[in-house]
Amino acid sequence: MLEIRNLHVTVEDREILQGIDLTIRPGETHAIMGPNGSGKSTLANVIAGREGYTVTAGEILFDGKDLLEMTPETRACEGLFLAFQYPVEIPGVANLYFLKAAVNAVRKYRNEPPVDAMDFWELVQERMKLVKMDESMLKRSVNEGFSGGEKKRNEVFQMAVLQPRFAVMDETDSGLDIDALKVVADGVNALRGPERGFLVITHYQRLLDYIVPDHVHVLFNGRIVRSGGKELAVELEEQGYALYNEEPGRARRAA
Amino acid sequence: MTAVAPLFADPYRQRFATFMADRREPEALTRLRRAAFARFEALGWPTRQQEAWRLTDLSALQALTLQPPAEALIEAGILPTLEDVPAHRLAFVNGRFMPGLSHECVLPDQASIASLREALTLHPERVMAHLDRVPGLEQQPFAALNTAFLDDGVFVHLPRGTALETPIHLILHATGGDMALHPRLLLVLEEGARATVVVEYRGAGRYLNAPVTELTLGAGAALDFHQIQEESPQAFHLGGIRVQQDRDSQLNLHLLAFGGQLARVDLDALLDGEGANCLLNGLTLVRDRQYSDAHVRVEHARPHGTSQQSFKNVLDGQARTVFDGMIHVRPHAQKTDARQSNRNLLLSKQAQANANPRLEILADDVKCGHGSTTGFLDPDAWFYLRSRGIPAGQARALLVHAFANDSLTPIRLTPLRERLAHLLAARLALDPAEGERTP
Ligand SMILES: Nc1ncnc2c1ncn2[C@@H]1O[C@H](COP(=O)(O)OP(=O)(O)OP(=O)(O)O)[C@@H](O)[C@H]1O
Ligand SMILES: [Mg+2]
Repeated sequence: MLEIRNLHVTVEDREILQGIDLTIRPGETHAIMGPNGSGKSTLANVIAGREGYTVTAGEILFDGKDLLEMTPETRACEGLFLAFQYPVEIPGVANLYFLKAAVNAVRKYRNEPPVDAMDFWELVQERMKLVKMDESMLKRSVNEGFSGGEKKRNEVFQMAVLQPRFAVMDETDSGLDIDALKVVADGVNALRGPERGFLVITHYQRLLDYIVPDHVHVLFNGRIVRSGGKELAVELEEQGYALYNEEPGRARRAA
Repeated sequence: MTAVAPLFADPYRQRFATFMADRREPEALTRLRRAAFARFEALGWPTRQQEAWRLTDLSALQALTLQPPAEALIEAGILPTLEDVPAHRLAFVNGRFMPGLSHECVLPDQASIASLREALTLHPERVMAHLDRVPGLEQQPFAALNTAFLDDGVFVHLPRGTALETPIHLILHATGGDMALHPRLLLVLEEGARATVVVEYRGAGRYLNAPVTELTLGAGAALDFHQIQEESPQAFHLGGIRVQQDRDSQLNLHLLAFGGQLARVDLDALLDGEGANCLLNGLTLVRDRQYSDAHVRVEHARPHGTSQQSFKNVLDGQARTVFDGMIHVRPHAQKTDARQSNRNLLLSKQAQANANPRLEILADDVKCGHGSTTGFLDPDAWFYLRSRGIPAGQARALLVHAFANDSLTPIRLTPLRERLAHLLAARLALDPAEGERTP
């Protein structure tokens, strides 16, 4: 469902992604690991359509459609979701109102009428329980004054309400205590199914105990230098990335 | 007046002479007019060499041949209402009171709410005892011009202890034709009196509206005053507001500005009694080539006074705004707590917000603070909303609404607040019903 081919991306004339190839089929969950600054968030942002990145070569196809041609909102309406590494605080915009606007925007895109107020409220209640979020958070401004963990929970909550077909989770596990980690994993696992795909960015193998990936990729200096099964995460946890630093030759071979 | 030649070379002299011919009115008023006109002549038409007018370009106004107000008929239906809230409603067209478009409610004993003209006929001494008595705007030529040319307006006098439950709703509608309008709003709240007032300036076509409002709050008086400026896009608005507050009085003054090609309000508030408190809450929305200006001076003359100024501007297109705000604390006004904030949101790179916050503190035991910020919408917040499927325009409107909406929340008059929320949403092209529900 998501095909990334030879993707090169520069930020302010610096090449951050140096030729990414990645194919994710419906029902698959892929994990990306890699050291700080290797380009993981850059990849996530380019998929979601954030400004400030220049794609100098390559393409991204979403169900065969050219993703890079679409506005961020169109991508979302097509079923793409990004759980942000750093969710933004938006004072003055209430969480619930924002979520309803988002749900209705997607419905409008699909030529569906606005969501029924009761149906929406039921969905919200149910998904809130799933991520064990407190109801008071709905009335508060989007992420404003939320703790780090609450912000991440809110990302998963939004995902659970919007039910995207493909979600990129950018370090949704970072800064979470072990209970919250399980909650996030439950949120993702509840959505997993033969039609949905996930790209999970993480630094920790621990998350992958809960969200068991089909494939694990190592992103290093803007390239995928190695791909493997879930055991690769365990190996990385033990050995770190020093290997790739010392042996660029091996890294390239592994890619 | 010194009637030396060349006679009537100055159009204002000619206009004033015509205006004064055959005028029947209290002697005291005539004297007041002549003194005011002399002051206008002494001050002269503002030039951009003067600091206070540096950014206000009056050349388009100056190029007009202004006309005296003429009568006109308008449809009652175009005038705004306070929905199901009953109100003392006084409507004016081109500055002249229109009884047919107005509505009287039962008044408390001794209270007076009337057109200025009527009040001057019925009880001239009572009016003259208060007219032009509030200090301030001494350097503002249009305020002097208003006194010279005032013809009608409002006289509200609430005697000691009068609590007016029914709001006063003043609607001033102009019909264009390059008319020069000088309405005068005179509101006097004696000790302990309370009132809620809504003033709405509206119109069509091109005209100059140069109103002056005088607000006197006696000891312990409380006033919620709202000014909704929705002049036509071609109009010029040069308004003056003078406030004098006695001990422990409370003024909540809301200034909402949306219209006019050039709109400026000069506001002087004098906190002249211990423990007086005033809240000045301003919100301006401008676009295209609109110019909007607020010159505010809050003067703390006595101890224990508090003032909070919050002025917000939202600018689109090539619009420009000016906020010039002064807090002046006199030497004996100890324990003053004075705050001022000015926030400007630019929706376009061509828009320009000018801020000139100033403090003059001559007492040593005070709390004063001011701050001014100007910026664009947060691109990260914008992207965040869009990444959830919300279209770019709607996401932008949501963020602007979030910025502006807390200027509406302190408005306690619910139908007005809701109407303004709709107006805000409409200006931001949000679905009104949806926009209003955003807390
Ligand atoms: N907007 C930007 N301006 C300048 N440099 C940027 C920008 N965005 C990313 N970069 C640079 O690109 C590189 C990759 O950043 P990215 O955020 O993708 O890393 P990451 O793999 O997500 O790291 P982390 O694990 O710390 O989240 C970094 O060197 C970063 O400084
Ligand atoms: Mg990152």
